[in-house]
Amino acid sequence: MDDEKVLTRHLGAPGLTTVGGYEKVGGYQGLRKAIQMGPEAIVAEVKASGLRGRGGAAFPTGTKWGFLPKDVFPRYLCVNADESEPGCFKDRVLMEEFPHQLLEGVLIAAYALQVTHAFIYIRGEYRFQRELLERAAKEAYRAGYAGKGVLGTKWDCELIVHGGAGAYICGEETALLNSLEGRRGQPRLKPPFPAVKGLYGQPTVVNNVETLSNLPYIVTEGGARYAALGTEASPGTRLFCVSGHVERPGTFEVPMGKTTFRDLLELAGGVWRGRQFKAMQPGGGSMQVLGPQHLDVPLDFKAVAEAGSSLGAGALVVMDDSTCLVDVASRLVDFYRHESCGKCVPCREGTYFESELMHRLEAGIASRAELAELSDICANMEGRCFCPLGDTATWFVMSALRMFPEEFESHCGAGRCPVRAGSEVAA
Amino acid sequence: MADASTVAELVNISVDGRPVEVPPGTLVWDACEKAGIFVPVYCAHKKLEPVAVCRMCLVEVEGLPKLQPACATRVAPGMVVRTQTEQVRKFRDGNLEFLLLNHPLDCPVCDRGGECDLQDFTQRYGPGRARSSITEKVHFDKAVKLSDKIMLDQERCILCWRCVRYYEEITGEREIVLQERGVHTVVDSFERQPLQSQFQGNLPEICPVGALTHRQYRFRARPWDLRRTASVCSHCSYGCNIFVDAREEQIARYASNDNPEVDDSWLCDQGRYGFPELNRPERVINPEARVGGLRQAVSYQDAVARAAGALLRVRGDHGGTSVGVLGSPRMTNEEAFVLQWLAREVIATPHVDHRYEPLEGISPEQFRLGIAELEGCDAVVVIGDRPERLSPVLTLRLYKVANKLGRQILRVPETFSAAQVVKQLPAAGRIGIVAAQADRAAAMGLRAKAGSAGREAAVLTITEAVNSRGCQDLGLLPNVGPGYRSLEHSGLFGRQLLEAAVAGQIKALLVVGDGADFEAEGLFHEALAKVDVAVVVTAWQGVASRAATVLLPGRTIAEKAGTVTNTEGRVQRVRTAVEPKFTFPSDLRILGDLAAGLGSDLGVQALAAPVFELLAAAVPAYRGCQAGLRAHWEPGS
Amino acid sequence: MFREMVGGLRITLREMMTKPITIQYPEEQRPVPPRHRGRHILHRYDNGLEKCIGCELCAGACPVGCIYVQAAENDPQHPVSPGERYAVRYEINLMRCIYCGYCAEACPTEAITLGPRLDLADYKRERLVATKDDLLEAWPGFHPMAQGVAEGRGAPAPQTSPLGAGSSHQGPAGSAPGLRPPIPGSRGSGGGAAPI
Repeated sequence: MDDEKVLTRHLGAPGLTTVGGYEKVGGYQGLRKAIQMGPEAIVAEVKASGLRGRGGAAFPTGTKWGFLPKDVFPRYLCVNADESEPGCFKDRVLMEEFPHQLLEGVLIAAYALQVTHAFIYIRGEYRFQRELLERAAKEAYRAGYAGKGVLGTKWDCELIVHGGAGAYICGEETALLNSLEGRRGQPRLKPPFPAVKGLYGQPTVVNNVETLSNLPYIVTEGGARYAALGTEASPGTRLFCVSGHVERPGTFEVPMGKTTFRDLLELAGGVWRGRQFKAMQPGGGSMQVLGPQHLDVPLDFKAVAEAGSSLGAGALVVMDDSTCLVDVASRLVDFYRHESCGKCVPCREGTYFESELMHRLEAGIASRAELAELSDICANMEGRCFCPLGDTATWFVMSALRMFPEEFESHCGAGRCPVRAGSEVAA
Repeated sequence: MADASTVAELVNISVDGRPVEVPPGTLVWDACEKAGIFVPVYCAHKKLEPVAVCRMCLVEVEGLPKLQPACATRVAPGMVVRTQTEQVRKFRDGNLEFLLLNHPLDCPVCDRGGECDLQDFTQRYGPGRARSSITEKVHFDKAVKLSDKIMLDQERCILCWRCVRYYEEITGEREIVLQERGVHTVVDSFERQPLQSQFQGNLPEICPVGALTHRQYRFRARPWDLRRTASVCSHCSYGCNIFVDAREEQIARYASNDNPEVDDSWLCDQGRYGFPELNRPERVINPEARVGGLRQAVSYQDAVARAAGALLRVRGDHGGTSVGVLGSPRMTNEEAFVLQWLAREVIATPHVDHRYEPLEGISPEQFRLGIAELEGCDAVVVIGDRPERLSPVLTLRLYKVANKLGRQILRVPETFSAAQVVKQLPAAGRIGIVAAQADRAAAMGLRAKAGSAGREAAVLTITEAVNSRGCQDLGLLPNVGPGYRSLEHSGLFGRQLLEAAVAGQIKALLVVGDGADFEAEGLFHEALAKVDVAVVVTAWQGVASRAATVLLPGRTIAEKAGTVTNTEGRVQRVRTAVEPKFTFPSDLRILGDLAAGLGSDLGVQALAAPVFELLAAAVPAYRGCQAGLRAHWEPGS
Repeated sequence: MFREMVGGLRITLREMMTKPITIQYPEEQRPVPPRHRGRHILHRYDNGLEKCIGCELCAGACPVGCIYVQAAENDPQHPVSPGERYAVRYEINLMRCIYCGYCAEACPTEAITLGPRLDLADYKRERLVATKDDLLEAWPGFHPMAQGVAEGRGAPAPQTSPLGAGSSHQGPAGSAPGLRPPIPGSRGSGGGAAPI
């Protein structure tokens, strides 16, 4: 793959984690240019780039910025670095390898939105990355890119790196804002949306790390050029984390729409140990499972949606033919049970109910009636919860049940897991 | 004109096919209620902001793919809401299954059994039986003593957050928090510190299940044992509306009875938990009289005849002014009116009072501001901490005014400089001044000062006992007659009256009511010992009952029917919540019979309703107010 | 005609030879059927704790309103029943009771059952209000139900008058200190004060 890279274009350059090293590869030129362009022009450029949120919901970034009410100040920018989707580690790469690219993106966005305080909410478990970002932010202050009078202008911009306490739900934007304010990390009632009433009751934009890391390129090279990297429906490039049963797991930047899942799998060295491909999860732990028939689906929002799943946060979890999907589902549901914030009933009790049933199913002691019960519980959760966490807790289970019904049924009353019992235990 | 524009602004929606018109911004839940359709809720509460966490109220809204929480969704023009569809029914069933999954189902020992929303909704919408193979529940702490008033059962909690939000939005004290997450989420006081709020008693009432319960009411009764009577709290003069729940003629608990004009559905703990005072067994239960130096039980008729005879004898020997009449601020309006009539017109003495300390210089103007009108003030000045100590629920109204409505609350010490205070007030607008009755002069001074500085100011005076205001309005005072009418001859104030009795100038005392204001005073004791005749009508054994020459059993406020006037002048009904252990006539009838014995006729039956008509004729401000309206005093009267 | 007379007398003569059905009640008593609904019994667990938790569901289910229960909170050190709640007063007006068994039906802990005892008569109405002491199974190790059925007698009071429904509480239960709480309140447990 020799396509043009955006986020990883400087990969390998020495000293990228320092201001000096980053400046050598053209760093912070985007910010300088952005300040010359002025806020409206930046927003226009981002709109032209067709950049869509990389956190999972894929909402057009320019449109999101446009929701901020005019003339209401102060307003805030929050960077969602609470990367906790199972199978997702792209933001970590961006923060570890290109911290200044992220900070530059944050500053560009902050200038475009006329924000004076930008908060980077980083996942609690990312301690090393947090320290790295804090160091980078200090350097940016020293170099005059942040703080009072950025680059000699009258615009001040404070960069605040804030660590979470380890909650998946804080990746949800309103829960993130609550956590940032020192409250319980639980989603807020919407409306009002954060764009109207967000952090400390003020208009707030919450953007993902990857989304903002694209901004230096978009500003320097132009939105049109960025858009042209992908297809019309899915512009630009995107980082994909490939993990699971592949030879070379890792993060890969590929153009959107032009690449298929099979290409991505090949980049990662194919299914490991010469085994057969069984299933994949294209968007991280939350998303619906896809089977071998979907390998040639392009990495395009619409095409993946038509296949019955979503690109989510850009993680591809590959499962080989030794995998028991009931086991996978059971583990994922345990994750959601653990991470449910406890705010609403269907999610709090539903994930518990679901996980207890999945345990029985995986152990082979559940009846067929309980399998029907499982579907019923999922139906009572999906679309009924306060926030999408409850929905996503059902998606994998339901899609796996649809796609591999015989595997679930063979567990009923089997007394043990029929899949894992037949094969060696995966390392 | 104004009406036409409001009508034009209304939004038309349909709920289950029933059209309903509501103002824009109304919650779908309220619109459903207006349409007469019940939507079950746990987390939503009329006095709290919506959070939409229980999901019980999810309804179908046409055009939206997902079910919407009726408690948090606002109406839009042409909205079509359906609450009875298969989708909604199935989800309610499923949601209740979720709620019961980790619920201990210890209804037989739960104080809320019988009046629990979880029980009720499970009956109405629930699955009917368990289908789950998951029988092991997640366990939490039971019988956690959150304070000396509140018991918490974490297992029964359905995490509706009402208690947490109550502390956040209504009192601002934040004593209860949510801890842990997911299925392990619990409510608890922070680090198990005992709750210190004076409004804890509201928690069990807003709790939809039996997670928070009253320790005082713990295992006292089942809801079906209780007889409920709407009445007024007798703790202070604020006049909070309550339900008295009684079991076997003993008060088992007080529950709030929402009156947005007065209590806004909240009670203070002193009031809510203060009723054991009325359940005390130290009652006077028989008419007694001193016969030949020895007190003995006599018949009611005999007691009344002896009382009347003794009073007539004193009046004949020493004149009417040698008789002193003492009432109580815990009397009903009807009793207060009849007692002052009995004193002034029948016995012909000016010496009548209902309190120990003198009360001078009072006027209806000191009570001009209503409790709910505080919300219309641009700033409220509270003089000292006495008003809030006398009537704690006032604190919650002030918090609402400050927090929800964003108005200025200025708490100043009793010794304030009016000029300084006026400087801190907004430049224009309506100013509310709240003061205890002891600080009425300072409050009126501030009002005058604010008025001359271009602000419209009104005063709310907080009186002391449940019917202090009524006793004042109806002239149970030596210096003013009914309706604050000025008198030709003022009598002696309570304390002076007792001093005169000790000095031998007062020969007979008629003491009616609980006497609580006087009982603690040594002077009362001395006076009763000194006078020749002490006719006492009281519910309680005490100094007065022991010293009485004629003793008649009175009733407590929970055993009476009549009206009381709260501090803002609202005339509210008290009803007989429990029957006394005796069958003798009520206090009002005792007064009527006494008058008859003294040769006068009240003119009407000695019952609350006809006597109220009588007093409304004498005090026109009270006309038509007995159903909970504020007495309307003409300005400057 | 003679034949008819002999035929009729034969039956008489035969019955003269058989054992009479009548018995010398109350010295002799017939076994009561096991599901007989006689006077109520309040049961205990094997460890002596009372099964009754004072939930009042029996009183709620009672069609004639003859049951009065006053609950109280258990002292965790000296519990009367398992859990938080127990019945401090439990009274049944046996004159009003129709022995329908709904109370037993409603009981969530199987604390109350209707027992074999049927000799319910007295000279004083007050004594026909059974108190908790009257109704409670004796302890330790004495099961009136089993005893009653086995011996065909109205248990549990061998030493008391079979007529004294309200006076048969001198069983060994009183000898179990700590299990029997003092009854608070001025009314005591006297049957006459029951506000039924």
